[in-house]
Amino acid sequence: MKEIVIISGKGGTGKTSVAAALAYTVPRVVMADCDVDAADLHLILKPVVRSSEEFYSGVRAEIDTQSCVGCGKCEEICRFAAISHESGKFSVDKLDCEGCGYCQLICPAKAVSLPEQKVGQCFISDTRFACRLIHAKLGIGADNSGKLVAKVKKEARQEATRTGMDYILVDGSPGIGCPVISSLSGADFVLLVTEPTLSGLNDLNRVWQLTARFRIPAGCIINKADLNPQVTAQIKDFLTQQGIRHLDDLPYDEDFSQAITLGKCLPEINPGKWKTRFANLWQGITKELK
Amino acid sequence: MKIAFTTNGTDWDARIDPRFGRTDYLLFYDEESKTMSSVDNREIINVEHGAGPRTAQKIFDNGAQVLITGNGPGGNAARILDQMELKIYVGAGGMTVREAYNAYLNNQLKQGVNNA
Repeated sequence: MKEIVIISGKGGTGKTSVAAALAYTVPRVVMADCDVDAADLHLILKPVVRSSEEFYSGVRAEIDTQSCVGCGKCEEICRFAAISHESGKFSVDKLDCEGCGYCQLICPAKAVSLPEQKVGQCFISDTRFACRLIHAKLGIGADNSGKLVAKVKKEARQEATRTGMDYILVDGSPGIGCPVISSLSGADFVLLVTEPTLSGLNDLNRVWQLTARFRIPAGCIINKADLNPQVTAQIKDFLTQQGIRHLDDLPYDEDFSQAITLGKCLPEINPGKWKTRFANLWQGITKELK
Repeated sequence: MKIAFTTNGTDWDARIDPRFGRTDYLLFYDEESKTMSSVDNREIINVEHGAGPRTAQKIFDNGAQVLITGNGPGGNAARILDQMELKIYVGAGGMTVREAYNAYLNNQLKQGVNNA
């Protein structure tokens, strides 16, 4: 079983459009949407949930008013000004609390607990295509984490093993933070999707520094390559320099926005133009997999 | 020499977990006494951020001089491991511990850069 992670560094390069087209193209695949902060693969794959699980992450302080002695030490030491009192009753504002646990440590009456917070749900779903999708939904104010990405990827691996699938395609999140590191962890191949803008190149470089550290082989698609031939040439130089396989240049095409508007993927709305193109792209990727 | 492996189990037939920070187990083989010990790292699933440095701490606590793993540690973990002057070998992901150890003895594993 091979795990391929699609990342871009910069947001808005067309990563998810590529991921959706590959979900349609690749046989025997499980999709995993690890861009949990801004998940949108479901808009195209239209999942029907088979099973779901609550997701807990992080702690917030809670004061038991029965055992609280009203000394006020917790309010004094809280760095986030999350604790206040009204007529001798102390309480925690959950939105301000960072869960550091200082109040629990300092409370002489042991009135503070730090329960884990339910922040969202993780799903295994059937999709319009032959593949299943593992995805997650966060509550308001909750953030993506390495923990949640690891959970989504673990579910995807289990699902792929259970159903005898050959590939896992992971739609990663932008940036180079903890969720991205977690999505790269244990991957067999990284598909970089970039665009010919200065920030596209800059963020590609940043995310590549991270990928190179994990020694995962990588290939790159330059999306909207014809919009800025100069930066496209710079990106190609960068790829050659760094030993990243250049897989394809995709032209700027109205089909991209058209497909998103219709909730479909590229090979569906214009098979003549995109079906073979993505089949070839996939062939190029499989050649890179040991 | 004490050698640390990132693994999915606790014996010679366990597989090398390509992940460093979020590996299920750490296995330690002491070449002098020929004994093996393991650390269950599965509680790492409850850690939101900073899995790498935590796992690095466990390597430090167990005093290994060599680490055999898959993709290799990320930046934050590598900075800690660097302080220990640990030799890191990568590319063993998916091998059994036995295979990985033999590959190490035969110089078939790539040495990872601690801090890029």
